[in-house]
Amino acid sequence: MLHTWLPYILAGIAVGGQYALIAIGYTMVYGILRLINFAHGDVFMWSGLIMVYLITVLPLWVSVILVILFAIVLGTTIEKVAYRPLRSAPRMSIMISAIGVSYLLQNFALYITGGLTKTYPAIGWLQKTVTIGSATTKMVTLITPVLTIVLVFLLVMLIKHTKIGMAMRAVSRDFETSSLMGIDINRVITVTFVIGCGLAAIGSVLYFSNYTGINPMSGAMPGLKAFVAAVFGGIGSVPGAVVGAFVIGVCENLIKGAGWTTFSDAFTFVLLIVILMVKPTGLFGEKNIDKV
Amino acid sequence: MAKDTRPVVLRLSDITMQFGGVVAVDNLNLDVHRNEIVGLIGPNGAGKTTAFNCITGVYEPTNGAVEINGEVVIENHPQGRMKEEYKGRNQGKYTRALTMLPDRVTKLGVARTFQNIRLFKGMTVLENVMVAMHMNQSESIFGATFRSKKAREEEKAMREEALELLKKVDLYDNRDDMSTSLPYGKQRHLEIARALATHPSILLLDEPAAGMNPQESDDLMRFIGRIRDEFDLSILMIEHHMQVIMGICEHIYVLNYGGQIADGTPAEIQANPAVIEAYLGGDE
Amino acid sequence: MDIRLNKKTKSALSVAAIALFLILVYIGDMNIPAGSSWKMLITVIEKGSIYALVAASMNLLNGFTGLFSLGQAGFMLIGAYTYAIFTIPAESHDKVYQYFDGGVIKWSIVEILEAKMGIFGHYLGMFIPMLGAGLIVAVIAFLIGIPVLRLKSDYLAIATLGFAEILRAFFQWNTLGPVTNGSNVLRKYTTYDNAVFPVIIGGICIAIILLLINSTYGRAFRAIRDDEIAAEAMGINLFKHKQMSFIISSFFAGISGALLAMFQTTINATPFNTVMTYEILLIVVIGGIGSITGSIIGAFLFTAASEWWLRGLDAGRWLGIQADFMRPGFRKVVFAILIMLIVLFYSQGIMGTREFSWDGFFSWWKNLPANLKAWPSRHKAKAAAKREARAVKAAAKAKAREAKASNEARKASGEALFTPLPVSDTVMVFDKEGR
Repeated sequence: MLHTWLPYILAGIAVGGQYALIAIGYTMVYGILRLINFAHGDVFMWSGLIMVYLITVLPLWVSVILVILFAIVLGTTIEKVAYRPLRSAPRMSIMISAIGVSYLLQNFALYITGGLTKTYPAIGWLQKTVTIGSATTKMVTLITPVLTIVLVFLLVMLIKHTKIGMAMRAVSRDFETSSLMGIDINRVITVTFVIGCGLAAIGSVLYFSNYTGINPMSGAMPGLKAFVAAVFGGIGSVPGAVVGAFVIGVCENLIKGAGWTTFSDAFTFVLLIVILMVKPTGLFGEKNIDKV
Repeated sequence: MAKDTRPVVLRLSDITMQFGGVVAVDNLNLDVHRNEIVGLIGPNGAGKTTAFNCITGVYEPTNGAVEINGEVVIENHPQGRMKEEYKGRNQGKYTRALTMLPDRVTKLGVARTFQNIRLFKGMTVLENVMVAMHMNQSESIFGATFRSKKAREEEKAMREEALELLKKVDLYDNRDDMSTSLPYGKQRHLEIARALATHPSILLLDEPAAGMNPQESDDLMRFIGRIRDEFDLSILMIEHHMQVIMGICEHIYVLNYGGQIADGTPAEIQANPAVIEAYLGGDE
Repeated sequence: MDIRLNKKTKSALSVAAIALFLILVYIGDMNIPAGSSWKMLITVIEKGSIYALVAASMNLLNGFTGLFSLGQAGFMLIGAYTYAIFTIPAESHDKVYQYFDGGVIKWSIVEILEAKMGIFGHYLGMFIPMLGAGLIVAVIAFLIGIPVLRLKSDYLAIATLGFAEILRAFFQWNTLGPVTNGSNVLRKYTTYDNAVFPVIIGGICIAIILLLINSTYGRAFRAIRDDEIAAEAMGINLFKHKQMSFIISSFFAGISGALLAMFQTTINATPFNTVMTYEILLIVVIGGIGSITGSIIGAFLFTAASEWWLRGLDAGRWLGIQADFMRPGFRKVVFAILIMLIVLFYSQGIMGTREFSWDGFFSWWKNLPANLKAWPSRHKAKAAAKREARAVKAAAKAKAREAKASNEARKASGEALFTPLPVSDTVMVFDKEGR
């Protein structure tokens, strides 16, 4: 029994870790700006694409660092150009702006790649095969969950114990009051995007080295799934997003293992709808009461 | 004082509203008789608007019952986790869980206005009033879309009635203005007109005189009295302007920190030491 | 200088304009040779009408009911498939469904009715599956709406997007192959033969949407958009009205899906993805959220720009400019940048929330020369105002900096920053009432 399912569970945990790294970006941005950053999945895709181009001229570790920097610069630029001017606009406008950015990033990627699927560079030691019990798997499958948990631990420490973390918590609690209390909102938002995009870039290195191919639409589906993970865990909560991501990753792979590959993507959305029906605040979310 | 013999149209029994650990309204008992104007006063945060929201179905009360025209329409008792967390009184007195959505409450004849004016911003004054008449319209969406004879007649009748109503509240000349372009006082009037368009028998006014100068609140006072007589209404109002409350209400209930600290006629309330303490702070 | 026409003139103008347009489209489609670049205009009109309809249906939800729904592509997909499945001629089934033994539905409504009623049956046979497409989508929207419409704004967006993705996966499912042809294309089904067809159908549907918006139900929808809580307090059943809006919007999305199937002559589930929904949403935004005429204008501009005007950007030659960076895909990049500029700097769209009217049109036309003449001076005035505002801001900033510096200096020298008010016996600061 376990013999047949173990590879799927392992793959699921790995993918879950990768989703978790993307989901953190969604959940933190939503927690602070109340915005579904539709462009986040495309930042993730672009990090992968840049890696493809960088690795041809630079050594691996330099490329990885540059990819992370690139994602951070891209993410914060998007925030400055497309979200900041609309901060006082109705929520629908800023969401439309996010969709517009997503559309732009996808089309730009189409132009650069010519619409072709690019081969993601094979990173030697991540691809090494390891055997656990009965299952053979790649190194990346083992690295991902460990790395994810370490990064999330560091992030939670940052949020709990540093000054900027405290500012972030305050802003997510009450945007206006915290700005009146002298918190530099713009700085907090920038830091949020830096963290979110940096983690997404790390996620992209892990994710794409599992799949070898990358095209302009590669970011859309993992992006949506990561968002669902964030909702599942309770939007705004970092540990929630991580738990949600692991649940989605594992279930999705089990469904694939059962031979229902067509519906592995659909499952995510079924889960989303179920959780929104049963517990709209997610696993770790807090209840919000609308004031009349 | 003699007992009021008019029938009770709105009765709150032991209404308690608890958000998490905070008891916003604590065991509120209140009666509104037919054609009576009742005031609900108390310092900020005393739970007045929350009580309104319990009556109109926006919130489900944690415990207690709301009776409209002699019939219990909303009733609740602490359930689930609230059973242990419940801090109010009279647990176990109520056993049913009756809920009602706000639109149903409105259909029962309870209309309300809002503390922070909530007009339909994208519409003209006339349209704002006509929206409130939509629920009494019987034509289906197909008939209405394809302009059946019935739909055209209903629309015409609706428009006429709305214009009539606007004349009564002195907004006829503004009928085609955007609702948000009206001056503040007129926006308050429009909110009341919109509530009247639902053909209510009970009207809940949430701080109708907020932000008004003495002259305006004086006008408002007369206006409220006038519509009470003209539309045969029973009115429950929240207000901070003491001249308005004392000048117009027949009976006043006072809340503080959710709890009910006094009720009586304006004269009784003015003399009540508990009320004075709540408003002015204790003696040092 | 406002112009007011009487009602009769206006309706006459409308009828004349519509008739003229239809005749031009009809003749144009008949007579323009296939190779001519003006054929592009006909393509734009066809696709533009279809997108105008779906944009109007999305606007009914997003702009008039305030429901941010992103499921339009999924509904179009069902519409397109429903239409195509029932109109593939009997003899073509074996070819189309070559991997599924010719499929399970071996007949075509068009053929059956044509055999019985001739040319009238032919069109009736096209009309029935089109209406059926709308109705099936409406039923599915009804079912999806039950859980989804209780959600708040952005959750609703994600859930509808999710449902659209589920539908796409469902239609590509191999087990359903005998009906949907799995992930293979459907083709050879009956299509219209003149561009005037989608224009007429789209026009009628949009007219119905406009009638709905101006009815008492449309008013209730707008009330929900403006303020849900107040709408509820006015006796409007939120869920019921949201559901009606959702179902009707989906019905028309289904019909536009059927039209799109006819326009494309082959269909496949893959392109009905989130990008398609985004494009429809962006059309609505370009035209103005809350304006149906805006959606129509937006749809035609969008298709004209992407299919026709900007085509040269892909081919390396545009407006006489030649450059190497203009290779396939560049058109879409320029296009996306244009859209972002609209979203950021012109968020009202072309029409805002206004609708087209003959009065407005003639007034605009008459005032155009004057407005054009006044434009430079108005622009200058605006620029001057902006400069002034910037100067004031800079001055305030400098002052604040100065004040801060002087405070720092005083603090450093040990001087007290806060000087209390002088205490005097005659001034009573706090006065308690009733003492």
